[in-house]
Amino acid sequence: MSEPVLELRHVQKFFGSVSALVDMSLTAFPGEMHAIVGDNGAGKSTAIKIITGIHNADEGEVHFLGEPLPQRRSASHLTDHGIAVVYQDLALVECLDIATNLSLGRLPKRFGILDRKRMRREASTVLADLKVRVTDVSTPVGLLSGGQRQIIAIARAVRLDKPLMLLDEPTAALGVQETAHVGEIIDELKPKGKAIVCVSHDIDFVFQRADRITVLRLGRTVGTRRVTDTTRSEIIGMITGAIGPDTDGAPA
Amino acid sequence: MLLVVLAIGFVASLRSPLFLTHSNILQVLEGSVIYFVMACGSALLVIGGGLDFSVGATFTLGGLVTAKLLASGVPVPFAILIGLSICVVVGAVNYCVITYWHVPPIIATLGVFYVLVGVTTQLTDGLDVVPLPYEFELLAQSSVAGIPNTVIFAVLAGLATWFLLEHTAFGVNIRALGGNRGAAIGNGLPVARLDFAVYAAAAITAGAAGILYASRVGSGQVNAGGATSTLMVITAVLIGGVSLLGGLGSIQGVAIGSVLLSLIDNALVLTRVPPTYNSIIIGAILVGAVALDHLRRVRLYRRR
Repeated sequence: MSEPVLELRHVQKFFGSVSALVDMSLTAFPGEMHAIVGDNGAGKSTAIKIITGIHNADEGEVHFLGEPLPQRRSASHLTDHGIAVVYQDLALVECLDIATNLSLGRLPKRFGILDRKRMRREASTVLADLKVRVTDVSTPVGLLSGGQRQIIAIARAVRLDKPLMLLDEPTAALGVQETAHVGEIIDELKPKGKAIVCVSHDIDFVFQRADRITVLRLGRTVGTRRVTDTTRSEIIGMITGAIGPDTDGAPA
Repeated sequence: MLLVVLAIGFVASLRSPLFLTHSNILQVLEGSVIYFVMACGSALLVIGGGLDFSVGATFTLGGLVTAKLLASGVPVPFAILIGLSICVVVGAVNYCVITYWHVPPIIATLGVFYVLVGVTTQLTDGLDVVPLPYEFELLAQSSVAGIPNTVIFAVLAGLATWFLLEHTAFGVNIRALGGNRGAAIGNGLPVARLDFAVYAAAAITAGAAGILYASRVGSGQVNAGGATSTLMVITAVLIGGVSLLGGLGSIQGVAIGSVLLSLIDNALVLTRVPPTYNSIIIGAILVGAVALDHLRRVRLYRRR
């Protein structure tokens, strides 16, 4: 088996006396989508925040490509390290157009002057590659539908071309067709050796696209299953607590 | 907004033959330039999601410090440079109070405003600084090909700000910062540096306007600027179509907003409308502009 891209080992996180994560472990491999599922309050958001560096783990280790991830990382450090994130709130600027949003943080310049032509051209190419139909890349993002915005945010992460893509609830606001589109984009990333880690409530989506599922419950990793070796009822049982944690809590 | 300007101009020209004369148009422009120069930096700041109530006092400080230095024999370029540097310090203080003490911008800059009013009075014992060197007065009082220097300075300031805002990464980043701060952070923009830059920009243009004013009137005046200036500048920025909540707006709009303020003044005088109507009209336009901005934001920022 190839080297893991992202590894969380027995991560703990406390906020005062409240334990957000008691014992979380996860191993994500290249070319796979790894879903994190769990009920509200299971620790999914905390897990994302620990990977993105918004919070530091109190105990345990976070390894990325074999190296421990440094503490206190900003968004630009994260990108430099090789992690592209699609936040649940998408981090799009409504009053800027699609092309600008796609280039935010890496605006193309020529002699110090903003190269809008190149920005528009590159945006059109990226969107065409992902089969996104947008009439005009100079449309402000605020005028797009929720689904279109989600795709734009994912397109921006895909374009970064990093070994790991982190998706936080990518299908929460989407219709059937748009969800399928997000799935197709993910499916195209896998053969390129990218690891996709995705927090999701959407069990249908997870079973269609994920390769492995890690279930969190009350801050603990209940277990990790290959999608081919499990069933919906087992996963749901693990989410609700009907099925207890694996003895050592280690990933399968 | 341009239509409002043209409409007022049209009505005024019907009612007074003086309105469309060369000298009157220049007078309208000259009346707006000081506010417009100040508004350039404030517009960048408001587009970047900030607000600065101290600009009126920074205006006074910039003019006074420069005048004091000139009066004590410092050469003109150095006096101006030092005057502007002091204003950058004011911008830095605003930035620090807001960023590190988490004081909301409106209160932080209001506090700095009061402190500066005290400082400028202390600095001069409440007396205007005169006389100033002739070369310094020429800066604002001479003209090129019939166009007053102040108007030329304002046009240059406007062009520079427009270029920054529309054609540099810095400008786009400012818009992103004001448009959605969380997204700016999420995309790894240098948020702290941008915040500092916009507060410094607002302070620099305020100081530059103060220096320009000192040059025009030939003295460093303790009572120039102040609260009236702050309010006029923020009004010009807002009726120029800059959104108080950040992200939206253009320098062209702010230019029109500044001219509009001066135009209303001028048109009322020429048409012999009592001057009390001036503030009523400005107030109405301001409220209308912000109401329009709300409609624009609802359209753009609706969750879909």
